[in-house]
Amino acid sequence: MPKPNVQRTSNLLASVTDEMLGGDLAAKLQDKTIRVERLLLELVRPHPVQPRRVLPERIHQAFHQQQLTPTQALRELAQIVQVAARQQSRPFTSVLDLLAQPEDESETIAELSPEETLLRDLVNLAVTIRDDGQVNPLTVVDVSEGVSHLYRIETGERRYWATWLLRDFIPDSNSDGTIPCIVIPAKTASVFRQAKENTSRSGLTAIAMARQAALRLLTVHNYEIPDYAVENDFYRQALTLDLRNKREHTDAILAAMGGIGRMHFSRYKALLQLSTKRWKPQTVITWKKAVLRHVIQLPSEAQSEMIQQIVQFDLTGKQVKEIIEHHSTSDLDDKPDAIDARLVKVMRAIERQTPEVFVQTLIREEKSTHLARARLQNMMTFLKQVGQLLPEENL
Amino acid sequence: MTHVFVFTNHKGGVGKSTSATNIALGLSSVLKSTGAANARVLLIDTDSQAHATLVTTGRKDYGSQDSLYTVLMAERQSAAKVMNDCIVQSQWNPDLYVLPASPMLEGAERELIGAAGAPYRISDPLSKIMSHYAAVVIDTRPSFSLLTEMALIAATDAIIPVEPRYLETVGLLSVITKINDIRDGWRIPDLKVSGIVITKMDSRIKGHTQLLEDLKSHPVLGKLICGVIPANEAVSYAHNNHQSVFSYDPKASASKAYAELVVTLIRRMVQG
Repeated sequence: MPKPNVQRTSNLLASVTDEMLGGDLAAKLQDKTIRVERLLLELVRPHPVQPRRVLPERIHQAFHQQQLTPTQALRELAQIVQVAARQQSRPFTSVLDLLAQPEDESETIAELSPEETLLRDLVNLAVTIRDDGQVNPLTVVDVSEGVSHLYRIETGERRYWATWLLRDFIPDSNSDGTIPCIVIPAKTASVFRQAKENTSRSGLTAIAMARQAALRLLTVHNYEIPDYAVENDFYRQALTLDLRNKREHTDAILAAMGGIGRMHFSRYKALLQLSTKRWKPQTVITWKKAVLRHVIQLPSEAQSEMIQQIVQFDLTGKQVKEIIEHHSTSDLDDKPDAIDARLVKVMRAIERQTPEVFVQTLIREEKSTHLARARLQNMMTFLKQVGQLLPEENL
Repeated sequence: MTHVFVFTNHKGGVGKSTSATNIALGLSSVLKSTGAANARVLLIDTDSQAHATLVTTGRKDYGSQDSLYTVLMAERQSAAKVMNDCIVQSQWNPDLYVLPASPMLEGAERELIGAAGAPYRISDPLSKIMSHYAAVVIDTRPSFSLLTEMALIAATDAIIPVEPRYLETVGLLSVITKINDIRDGWRIPDLKVSGIVITKMDSRIKGHTQLLEDLKSHPVLGKLICGVIPANEAVSYAHNNHQSVFSYDPKASASKAYAELVVTLIRRMVQG
């Protein structure tokens, strides 16, 4: 059988087009105006390298490695939340139970676990979409190839998961299984649009901001951004990159990160140095911007130490703030020489102290056992370093 | 809105499949050449003879797992995904996609008797994936069966290919009436008879030219004529070789006539 001559076909139809279409019609066909289309949920997927993790890391990875369907991913999340809620004596059967019930008149507001908060927020969004419709469409990039139709989410991953919740977990939702989207052709997709939307929202973790910084750096340095789930080492590649030789992109990157300064950007980037252990979902959920906002103000060499202590002692944002402010105030009050001299005096007086009394004083002064332990750990680290630096013989 | 063109006539051999396949290819090629953001065109073959499927994909052995039959038998909630998964790329053009027919469609109507929402089993799933395509073209079987009704319910523009013969033109009125009945009966306000394509026109035959003149002078039908395709050997030989008429013989008068029809349909798409 002779093969179809596609070129010949194109030539004929192209010539007819030139003759018959006219400029106006051709221009209308190339119309680039934004349109909202309802896409089948199954054809839309979140970007696997998206810095913001809507789902806990383990589920995120399993979902992007095709081990879980969206429904299964949400079911796993619901199961995690059910366990957490049961531990807090708040068992639930339907995800709708996570929302405050109108007849519930108790005045005490229970503090929810991060997982409960995550699912409750998604359910809340789903119910809003059910009742009021989805006002803001997602922006998706058409990355279809051949018969593999796929739209990659650029912005709106939470709305995507909420719509799945609505379809499969919320009774009487009347979801038709589609989601309104603004479809952007792959060639006009913007790597910064997603970053801008992310950073304009509250609740983005510092680790997500660090990933964001990494992605922007990797993009402007022409690294290929994969379309599959990546380990954290992928983001760490950005540690060797900086903005210095990419001046033409600096403003766009900083704007996409929420209008932060270069120093601020570097500090977020420095968080990539943390070991993977520190990137665990629990940690990521817990470390809200409010906590690490204080940390990133520290010089990068002090950040790692501070973060270790946050993880080790489970410090709250308030405690972190107090440590840092106390540290800064002391720095302002005293010259370094004066502090050192005072420390030496303390060391001389140590023989007269008893540990039991000192513990009580320490806790009283720091107002928290966690803080006291963190302070002690700092001191021990400091003394260890002093021991290592102390020469064997008299100078 | 994606335009859905359905080529229908209850008479066989009038050029429904030939017109549907060549128009589908023409639409995608012209859209591509004009730089349209989306040049993808979907051809849905609802005829169990699967001629449109055969010439565009080179196969006609689609069955219960990978054809329109699969979509018709799918659960309502998963039908759109099933439809999407059954669509294949044509051999003619990377932007021309085909939802293949299967000989099993012959029995589908019997199986669907009494099934809930049976007439909507093409339109429902199609409405959820059609934004992926710039246009959809549906080829129908030569009868007003349930499958043809499903195709019309899914369509926006019904185009009637008709040969320039007396009895055919008499039947034309019953086709238009039937389409209007479906539009009113199923409340499909978007569906309209938007064109009549005169096929196999042989200007050497006096009866053909006379009938064409009569049709053109008719106050309603005359306005509906959107293309006249000359009788041409290139058309039948092209299908023998599983090719479009454009590739088989671009200089043939039928190729040019189909190209003109493509342009006419694109104008309608743009003008809404």
